[in-house]
Amino acid sequence: MTQQMRPSLDDPRVAIPADSTWYEPAPSPQTERQAEFLTLREGEMFVNMGPQHPSTHGVLRVIIKVNGEKVVDLDPVLGYLHRGVEKLCENADYHQAICYTDPLEYVSSLFCEAAPVAAFEKLMDVDVPRRAQYIRVLTMELNRIASHTLFQGWMALDLGGITPILWAFIERDEIVDMLAALTGQKLLYNYYRIGGVNGDLNHEFMSRLGTWMSRAAAQIDSNLALINENEIFVRRTRGLGVLDAKTALKMGVTGPNLRASGVPFDLRRDRPYLVYPELEFDVPTRDEGDSLARYLVRMDEIKQSIRIIDQVLHEMPDGPVMAKLPRLLRPRPGRAFGAVEGPRGVYGTYAISDGTDQPFRMRIHDPSFVHLQLVGPLTKGNLIADTMAVMASLDPVMGGVDK
Amino acid sequence: MDRRLAALLQETFGERLLAPVRQRYDESEIRIALKDATDTLRTLHDHPALRFEMLIDLCGVDTGEEMQVVYHLSSSKSGDWLRVIVSGLDRSAPRIASATFMWPGAEWMEREAYDMFGIIFEGNRDLRRIYMPDDYRSHPLRKDFYLADDASRSPAAGVRNMERVGTPADATAATVLRKSPGV
Repeated sequence: MTQQMRPSLDDPRVAIPADSTWYEPAPSPQTERQAEFLTLREGEMFVNMGPQHPSTHGVLRVIIKVNGEKVVDLDPVLGYLHRGVEKLCENADYHQAICYTDPLEYVSSLFCEAAPVAAFEKLMDVDVPRRAQYIRVLTMELNRIASHTLFQGWMALDLGGITPILWAFIERDEIVDMLAALTGQKLLYNYYRIGGVNGDLNHEFMSRLGTWMSRAAAQIDSNLALINENEIFVRRTRGLGVLDAKTALKMGVTGPNLRASGVPFDLRRDRPYLVYPELEFDVPTRDEGDSLARYLVRMDEIKQSIRIIDQVLHEMPDGPVMAKLPRLLRPRPGRAFGAVEGPRGVYGTYAISDGTDQPFRMRIHDPSFVHLQLVGPLTKGNLIADTMAVMASLDPVMGGVDK
Repeated sequence: MDRRLAALLQETFGERLLAPVRQRYDESEIRIALKDATDTLRTLHDHPALRFEMLIDLCGVDTGEEMQVVYHLSSSKSGDWLRVIVSGLDRSAPRIASATFMWPGAEWMEREAYDMFGIIFEGNRDLRRIYMPDDYRSHPLRKDFYLADDASRSPAAGVRNMERVGTPADATAATVLRKSPGV
């Protein structure tokens, strides 16, 4: 038997220049906007960033049109993480659908669960026991702090500072371990159920939470001192990517990004759910609308979350954590929209029931998807490196964007 | 939720509403025909007593009989949330006017609806696929799109897709798996 020789890479006949060797963004523009994007004027060129780039927070590819070092235009290419969660949920029953939504946004998965659970509970007219509502608020606020501290580290990392992320991970790991003690999972908790939560608070969670709460405020303040007074950080982010309130509303921006532009819109206060109306907290806003403001609003929110947790721990009643429900859930035909205020904005789920045990249509709305649209308009005219600073300040997570 | 909103909507839109205003929990819902979509959205946005200025969500729905486009709006005046269901899009060639003239942020959500359902939004400057590859030919969230491996389907559901041998995942078959919920 003759063994075929493997061709050597040095062989000039192997290295055939093919069309695929050359990078062309798209040979034939499909839309008016794409045609405009693909037209190069004098001195302009394309630079490809991603799909695997540390500052894209996941797998995102951005085609940047540059003139020298200045960004002229950019076109994000999505879909690298697309898993078809909506279709999967339509083919799963109501309990199963919740666990599909968990990995959407792996940084704050409790919010991804909370939105479909809220929609399903509306469809089924379930009353959630008060203790379960308090537990949900408690765990969601913990998750919000974990997400925001990670954002703090990421933002600094994208601007070139390595140290803050190491400090941010200390806080975040403590919260993640705490929630792991409660839910049994480190990141994809799958803790909320239709009608309550999976299990009552346990001793390990409570003791860890108590220890953490006693030093959390001081620890987070010292983390903030690491960045907030750093001249390089402040001068690079101040006045960068300014988003005014009117544009923000037109673009459908929600969450801290909207509040950094001076619009005090917060679902926890404006469209109350769970026990938020009974809790006391402020909605921090800033008027500047730049990257620094978006960062500072999130840091202020951490303090408010600690305040909420403190109240929840004092006011939590005893009682059951699950409503009595049948195993097989068949809601009446109807439509419901469940929304929660997450660390990035409004997480929504629009569910349609047709009377069977599976949702007929389940739409998942993720704020990162909307916010990523802004990267283009906000970075035009800035340097390439500022694209990352703007993107980091908008805090998108690609798992949620790509669904 | 404001109970007067129902009366106000009824009074403002009157004949245009295909069904009475529904209110449940903190949501209100109106249903309009395709031809009135743009005018209705504009009125909702500009009417001094309504001021539905925030677009929370835009999505397509395939009921198996027709396509729908559903808008979730939030009022900056009263804080109420409204669901606008535009029904009556032809399933074989769904077309509707784009909402980007009022909410530029709707652009990507419309691209997603186009990608997933094939709904053409007239006036959207960048209507191309957003998740699926450019050369992909079918629209995955349509009800006639079968999953290749449907092991996730629960035993209580009537149809087992797994048993439909020979149906490729991206075939646009004429049959629809689930009946319209009629809601």
